[in-house]
Amino acid sequence: MTELKLERRLQATRGFYRNFVKEFYRDAHKAKAEGTPVAWVASTFPVEILLAMDVFPVWPENYASLCAAKRVSVKLCELAESKGFSKDICSYAKCVVGSLFERGDLPERGMPKPDFLVASTCACDTHFKWFQFISRHLKVPLFLLDVPYNILGADSEHLERTHIEFYISQLEELIDSLEKQTNVVLERDKLREKIMLSDRTSQLWEEIQKYRKTTPTPMDARDAFSAVFFMLSIPGTQMAVNFYEKLCNEVKERAENKFGVIENEIYRLVWDNLPPWFDLRFFNYLNSLGAVVVAETFSHVWTGRLDPSKPLESLAKKYLSNFANCSIDRKINLIQNLVEEFEVDGIILPTNWGCRMMSIGETIVKETVYNKLGVPSLILDIDSSDWRSYNETQVKKNVEIFLQVLSGKKQGG
Amino acid sequence: MNIFSSFRDLLSTRHEVAKNWKAKGKHVIGWSCTYTPEELIHAADALPVMVFGSLESTKLADVHLPINVCSFSRSCFNSALKGDYDYLDGFVTSSSCDNRNKIFDMWRYYVRIPYLHFINTPRSTTELAHDFFYAEISRFKTSLEEICRKTISTAALNRAIQVYNDNRLLLKRVYDLRKMQPPLISGVEALEIVLSSMVTLKEKHNDLLNRLLAEIPNRVNPPKRGVRLLVSGSVMDNTELLKIVESVGGSVVADDWCTGSRYFWNLVDSGSDPLVAIARRYLGKIPSSFMLEQKERFGHTIKIAKQRDVEAAIIFVLKFCDTHMFDAPQLMEVLKDIGLPVLCLEWEHSLSGMAQVKTRIEAFIEMVSGVE
Repeated sequence: MTELKLERRLQATRGFYRNFVKEFYRDAHKAKAEGTPVAWVASTFPVEILLAMDVFPVWPENYASLCAAKRVSVKLCELAESKGFSKDICSYAKCVVGSLFERGDLPERGMPKPDFLVASTCACDTHFKWFQFISRHLKVPLFLLDVPYNILGADSEHLERTHIEFYISQLEELIDSLEKQTNVVLERDKLREKIMLSDRTSQLWEEIQKYRKTTPTPMDARDAFSAVFFMLSIPGTQMAVNFYEKLCNEVKERAENKFGVIENEIYRLVWDNLPPWFDLRFFNYLNSLGAVVVAETFSHVWTGRLDPSKPLESLAKKYLSNFANCSIDRKINLIQNLVEEFEVDGIILPTNWGCRMMSIGETIVKETVYNKLGVPSLILDIDSSDWRSYNETQVKKNVEIFLQVLSGKKQGG
Repeated sequence: MNIFSSFRDLLSTRHEVAKNWKAKGKHVIGWSCTYTPEELIHAADALPVMVFGSLESTKLADVHLPINVCSFSRSCFNSALKGDYDYLDGFVTSSSCDNRNKIFDMWRYYVRIPYLHFINTPRSTTELAHDFFYAEISRFKTSLEEICRKTISTAALNRAIQVYNDNRLLLKRVYDLRKMQPPLISGVEALEIVLSSMVTLKEKHNDLLNRLLAEIPNRVNPPKRGVRLLVSGSVMDNTELLKIVESVGGSVVADDWCTGSRYFWNLVDSGSDPLVAIARRYLGKIPSSFMLEQKERFGHTIKIAKQRDVEAAIIFVLKFCDTHMFDAPQLMEVLKDIGLPVLCLEWEHSLSGMAQVKTRIEAFIEMVSGVE
């Protein structure tokens, strides 16, 4: 396998782990030591609220992916299984549960102990069940948002009013509870400022994605899956804005100069769901075959424009329309748009062993998109963090056959 | 006793019974989660039936679903694809887990059915959640009125509440027959009774229950004395597993699953506005594991374990049922804290790998008997 030539990788994301992720956990431990409240947060919780209350958010999901990248996740998963947790639950959850019992060294000294937990029912059952366990185990309070399921797959402009109202009322009650918990009053001006920064983060991220439409594409999934960290963890911060401004400039410049991820771009792909965090070089392997991921559904899940004059309502709209909370129609629409706008040849639909939300419905996506746009999909069995059931040889063989199919189609076969 | 075969017959002939009902020009509505307010369907003069899976192969569903999916939902979907439920005028489900939510997409895309309805069920029970759920139930009522072409009157709702509450009280009396030592009915019989109530017109079921309760004191062959067990889990829509348990010395005297006590334990308050009372009853009932109130759920399990003098517990975790997979180790701890030996078993709806399951149950029951 030929490694991607270094000069073709983006400058902005070089040394991402060392420069940003490691730094983030160091700051988290420091904040904890200085008495700043630390919250463990499940994704799809409106973190802007916490940032506005000077709470330091730490993301167990991010921590699990980090453990996978450091190749310690399986050891932690096994530890969770030894405590009675099924091997079939989400490997993020297993990994973090395992880390609670691990007595030896952990990457980044583990996550700093939380003062409280926040989660929402928005993305999946696992989030709140997993956090419920952490809450019981660590004896720290858990605050939850109960989010209606978006069965119509409506986008942010077509949501049901009752859903928006239910979300906002709960958010108001939750803010009261958090104020009591932290003894900090949420200043509405500060919230508006965070909302503005979060919106700017989304705007920049969307712009970056736009440049990836260029042929050859200037940015690949490997960079995207690293860089999305800010979008996910701390969207309402100046740090996130600064990083994305730099990244955006670089991607823009490359797009204008037609400087692609690979010299000879043959296949343009969409990637759904999560990557195998334990083997991000998988994307380099794709590159070595002339294939490049030009868009990930994941990169379009976390954005959402926010209106600082209506902070709570725009948070409600952003999260209610997150496609993890929607019927499959919303994902199909998104993928179809990506296929058309990014001139995509094929779609990779990885399932995730411990995730019902990501695994069920991929056949519908495959059939619908093929029938409508004639673009084929490949369903791949991959887990995000647990490589025990990952059959690399089989997966690569399937990918090669798939690319042959795409090649045949390109030649009019 | 014959009466037990009557309940068994209701189960084995459920499809024919539903078709006969339909032949009278009436509607049959399938439901899949015990958070579906059946009273509304009953009040629309339609027959509510729970959609069960079957023990057959699921090859039709397997085309559309990956392996790592709840095998109960898979089996129900397979039955629908196969045409077992072609008589349904509609199917209603609830947002009660990822498997259900996502497989509802499958029903929408692949099952030919005139009407599909989705009830958004909150996972909390705050006043905000109750208000939201009431609005959802009102929406369901309007939608049922359209599909059944019938106005659901307050009087019809009150009648439905009455007949459903009667059924719940009768089922509770049946469950009390297992407080005795040895119990007057077996776990398998109790499960057949509850399952049959989920697919039968409640008036008819109430008649049978009254007959059972009248005849039972004279039962000549009560079940054998065995290790008194609590069984815990989500859905158990066939009796095969309990048959195994009771064939190796277990005596199932209590349960906390959806097709058992959690289905009928709570009554609808009959003194107030019927729709409000129905909505409050369903959202506020003993929580399933998808609800946020884990303490209340475990509290119910412990309470019935104590009330029924159980000696041990078996937790049946349906494979790929996330909420139960997370609860299982915690419930195990809670039950061990009150001194009960606990066995936790993962099972597939298709009952594959049963030989091993049987060996484990047998060893567990032997172990518990040895302790005494």
